[in-house]
Amino acid sequence: MTEEMVTVPNKLGIHARPAALIVRAAVEFDCDIWVKSPADKVNAKSIMGVMTLAASGGTAVTVSADGKEEREAVDAVVEIIKSGFGEEMI
Amino acid sequence: MQDRYPDPETFSVGVLYKCLGKRLSLDNITDTRGYDRMVVSPDISRPGLCLSGYTYKFMHDRIQIFGDTEIALLNQLSQSERITAVANVYDFPVVCSIVTKGLSPPDELVSAARKTDTALFLSPEDTTPLIHELTDFLGEVFASHVSLHGTLVDVYGEGLLVMGRSAIGKSEAVLGLVERGHRLVADDLVRVRRAVNRLIGTGDSLIGFHMEIRGIGFVSIAELFGVGATKELQSVDLVVRLLDADIVDEADRSGLEEKHMTIMGVDVPMVEIPVLPGRNITLLLEVAAMMNIQAKDTGCTSAERLNRKLIARMGRKRLRDKYDGRDGNCSQ
Repeated sequence: MTEEMVTVPNKLGIHARPAALIVRAAVEFDCDIWVKSPADKVNAKSIMGVMTLAASGGTAVTVSADGKEEREAVDAVVEIIKSGFGEEMI
Repeated sequence: MQDRYPDPETFSVGVLYKCLGKRLSLDNITDTRGYDRMVVSPDISRPGLCLSGYTYKFMHDRIQIFGDTEIALLNQLSQSERITAVANVYDFPVVCSIVTKGLSPPDELVSAARKTDTALFLSPEDTTPLIHELTDFLGEVFASHVSLHGTLVDVYGEGLLVMGRSAIGKSEAVLGLVERGHRLVADDLVRVRRAVNRLIGTGDSLIGFHMEIRGIGFVSIAELFGVGATKELQSVDLVVRLLDADIVDEADRSGLEEKHMTIMGVDVPMVEIPVLPGRNITLLLEVAAMMNIQAKDTGCTSAERLNRKLIARMGRKRLRDKYDGRDGNCSQ
């Protein structure tokens, strides 16, 4: 199990388009990946799940993975969140 | 390709009569004289000015419409003046003429048409509606067009142009739509014309409403499902591309990204559907059509509406957290 915490850096937070980008990064890996907010923990490969987090800009979320290439998977998802999805930053 | 409109290359007065004779109640009083003249313009002309002697810029290569004005002008002239007036027009190689409103043409007009081997038609229809009908038809004939490889089907009034490589299952999917009560316009080969900013699709008159289904052969949709299952003309409102699942980019799962296909300079919304074993493509096509109708009615897609709701929820949550003294991290 690998975990890493990251703050959502873009203004609008994880809305539909960022959620789609996270899922796109996550489905590349065979391991289980989750994104966790203090309230909820969802499958990073489910677009509806990631949207349900309603993680606004500035929220700290934890990305975790378990299984094959878990480190790479966490890095990939964290990186996409850190990038701010190419949107306006806070 | 032969289609439901005549080819502009061979569009003669005879062809015009064959196509519109009934619709415009044309009475042909010059027999087949001038039937081989070519109709070269989608426009019509009112020859009033030319009759009165002003022949500069007279559009003789258009269909001449003799309405109330023209006939009244001729009738108030003396016979010799009338001969001159008619000659002003018929000295030019006019395409053909139509006398509207059930008016009786002066003898001089009829004999000038006969002498110059030009077709003269009479119609009981009023001038303006006749001109509208005629120019609509001519506009369609002369509109630029392309032939596309795809299947056009009317789903709840929405024209779906289904495209994709051969054997991906376009015809089967559309057959499913027809079975559900939607209407086939053209299979395999769709002729698309541009009418101002709209695209109008139609099929080939030889192929008619046949579909070629692998393993079964040619299926006559009109005979098998009845005339209600077919449609002659349909606007192209949505392009659906069926793609092999392995080449589809996972980029857009949300439907937020709007795709378009440009056909003859007109942007048509497009959706791409990956074809996987077990997917019900017919159902997906129907849903795509319904979503396109809804998007047009409401001005935004369901993905956009959902996203707006989500962003609003995040905004409310942020406010609540601020008052709770927590920074960002929160519960519902």
